[in-house]
Amino acid sequence: MIQTIRIGLLLREAVAAPYRNLVTRPTGAAVRTRIEATLADSNCLTALLDFSDIELVDLSCADEVVAKLLLTVQTAYFVVLQGLREDHHEAIEHVLTHHRLAVAAVPPGCRAPRLLGWAGTDAREAFTCITEQGPLDVTALARGLGWPVSRGREALGDLALHRLVRPIGELYYPLQTA
Amino acid sequence: MTRVIEVPTHFDDRSFDAFAAGFGDWPPPEKVLVDARATQWASPYGLIGILTAGQALAEAKREKPLLTVPTNDEVKRYWARAGFFHHASELFELHGKVPRSGATGPSDVLLDVTPVRASEDVHGVVHKISEGASRILHGELGLEMKATLRFSMALSEACQNIVEHAGTSGWVAVQAYTFRRRLGRRVVVIAVSDAGVGFRRSLESAHAKRFGERWGDGAALEAALIQNVSRFRDPGRGQGLAFIKRFLDQWEGKISIRSGTARLSIVPAWDEDVPMSDHLPLFPGAQVQIIIPAQEAKTR
Repeated sequence: MIQTIRIGLLLREAVAAPYRNLVTRPTGAAVRTRIEATLADSNCLTALLDFSDIELVDLSCADEVVAKLLLTVQTAYFVVLQGLREDHHEAIEHVLTHHRLAVAAVPPGCRAPRLLGWAGTDAREAFTCITEQGPLDVTALARGLGWPVSRGREALGDLALHRLVRPIGELYYPLQTA
Repeated sequence: MTRVIEVPTHFDDRSFDAFAAGFGDWPPPEKVLVDARATQWASPYGLIGILTAGQALAEAKREKPLLTVPTNDEVKRYWARAGFFHHASELFELHGKVPRSGATGPSDVLLDVTPVRASEDVHGVVHKISEGASRILHGELGLEMKATLRFSMALSEACQNIVEHAGTSGWVAVQAYTFRRRLGRRVVVIAVSDAGVGFRRSLESAHAKRFGERWGDGAALEAALIQNVSRFRDPGRGQGLAFIKRFLDQWEGKISIRSGTARLSIVPAWDEDVPMSDHLPLFPGAQVQIIIPAQEAKTR
């Protein structure tokens, strides 16, 4: 189950004005608090944060909304972003790299997410493989990518640690986006 | 006794130190008269510098200073159009005839002189700039469309520095004009100024120790602009200036920050400024200027 959260709606509630720019730390903190409250009331495991109503995301808000959310909900939810434009990507990627965090983001017009932020090459390749092929165990992933099993295990371990795949039993599932 | 401080004829970041020197020890004990009668031109940096001086005097509980307005009608009209007199009338006793401001059609003033007191003001500034910025940055300066959003982001981060670090309010203004002598191209200039504690005092408790005897206004600017440190322990802080520098590097832009008695600049190839100036005349708070030039045909 997915909980879709429209960031534009939360922004308008937070600033009590029809602005579409996600700027300033207090605003970002207020939006994050609303996201956390929404998730606390939800039974869903995946939060799909929809930025499509947002015009601008500055560094402060990228840090307050996305980075701090990932830091605080790391053990509870899977977080996926959607509706990001190129400049949103840039700001969010910058802060996530700074914090050594990563998140899955669905590019406009696509269904498959891609990784944003700090992730090694192996983790990125493993993420793409699982996103394209569906659930895989360590052996199948390693075979598919022509890696030793230990390398596949490490890459999937990284992804699971950052909640970028869903481990169920021996299998690693791609994040739900729809 | 009254201390007369002349506003330079051509008032911008280069002549700012002469203006600052006029105040002597800060705050000056005498009544102050800021004399702009002979001023022929002022950049946004200059205009908000005058307001910052007025604000600092008010916050130091000094007698309300006097300001004699430029005699040149065109200059006066421009200052009025930029919203300068509207705010100056609250901080200074104005002398001389002030024209009524009244915006008519598109202008080179992208953002009037605007006070920044709280986060809500930053929202207002970013909202207001969005339409005009695209027209100037993309249409006139030849920057890619996404540059408009990066520009707004830079503006937002620069204004937030006031709210988060100054301990008081400040001012912002954005304007497009032609750098005839320095560059021979159109530029957009963001100027942000406050009368607050300045970079040295803001960063002192967290960072002075590791600089030892070197600690001062210059070292504080270096810590903030080069090393991207912040006074907050939060590891997410200090990224705003780093991001601005990255954009400016792509656009051959320039950022300079003056605080207390020092000024630090990231100097592009087209400018002859020095990276660090120390032992300047003291001026309250911090003054930031970001210059983005029109892109040359080869880089478009």
